[in-house]
Amino acid sequence: MFKFLSSSNIYYLIQKLINFINSIFFLILIIGLTFALVLSPPDYVQGDSVRIMYVHVPAAWLGLACFSLITLLSILNFIFKIKNFYFINKSIAPIGLLFTCLAIITGSLWGQPTWGTWWAWDARLTSMLVLMLFYVFYILTFKLLHREELIVKVSSIVAIIGSINLPIIKYSVEWWATLHQPASIKIVGSSSIHPAMLLPLLVMLLVFLLYGALIFLMKYKTEIIRIKKKNIKRI
Amino acid sequence: MIIEFIAMNGYGLYVWLSFSTVFISCALFYLKTKKTLKKYENDFLAELHNLSKNEKNKALETSKVAQQLLATNSKMN
Repeated sequence: MFKFLSSSNIYYLIQKLINFINSIFFLILIIGLTFALVLSPPDYVQGDSVRIMYVHVPAAWLGLACFSLITLLSILNFIFKIKNFYFINKSIAPIGLLFTCLAIITGSLWGQPTWGTWWAWDARLTSMLVLMLFYVFYILTFKLLHREELIVKVSSIVAIIGSINLPIIKYSVEWWATLHQPASIKIVGSSSIHPAMLLPLLVMLLVFLLYGALIFLMKYKTEIIRIKKKNIKRI
Repeated sequence: MIIEFIAMNGYGLYVWLSFSTVFISCALFYLKTKKTLKKYENDFLAELHNLSKNEKNKALETSKVAQQLLATNSKMN
C-alpha cells in the first residue's frame, strides 16, 4: 500500500489523471454552459440574472471546501508529520484563493441588479472577504518563510484560526439579518431549488471540480519535480 | 433572437461579465500553472543532462520520475 503511494507511482498516476481530465473537460464544459446559458429557465423574480448563480455558487462552495481540506490536512500534518500533506496544502491554497475571489466578484456582479448595490458589509459578504484574507495569509507563509518546519507551524496556525470563519460563513445568513438569501440547497432536508436549475448547477459544479483537480494535479506534479530536482543535485 | 440571447432581458452585462471574468481568470491561471510546470520539467532535464554518464545512469536507476520525464521528453522530440 505504502509502496504504491511512493512519489514515482503518484507521479505516474497524476499524468494519467491529467490526460483523463483533459479528454473530458471541454465536453462537460460545453454541456454545462449550454444548460446554464440557454436551457435553464430564468427566475420568476430575478429574471436572467439568476444565471450568474451557475458560476457564483460552485466557486463559493469550492472556495470553502478547499479551506476545509487545508484545515483538516494541516491538523493531521501537525499531529502525524506527514510531509505529503504539506505539498498537497501548498498546491490547493492558490486554487481556493482563485475560487473565493471569483465568488466575491461574481457575487458583486449579481448583487448590483438584484440588491441595487455592488457591495454591502453584510455578514455573508464580509465573512467571505475574511476567508479570502486568510487564504492570502496562508499563501504568504509559503512565500515569506524559508524554513520548512516554521512554514508548517505558521501555516497550520493560520489554517486553524481561519477555520473558525467557516461555520460563520455557512450560518451567517441564519444568525444575522443579511441581504444574502438563505441556502436553497440542503444536504439534509428538502431543497427549495427547482430541478431545472439544480441540474445545470450540478453540471457546472462538476466543471469547477474538474478544473480545480486539473490545477491541483499540475501544481502537485510541479512540487514532486522540485523535490526530485533537489535530490538529483545530491548525487 | 441572437440579440435577445445576448441582452438576457437587460441582465446581459452582468451575466456575460460574470462568465467572462470566471473563464478569463481560470484560463490565465491554467496557463500560468502550465508554464511553471514546464519550466520545472525543463530545469530538471537540464540538470539531468549536466550529470556525467555514471551519475545520470544512477539517477535514472533510482528515480522513476526522472525515467518518466526523460521518456516523455524523448517522445515529444
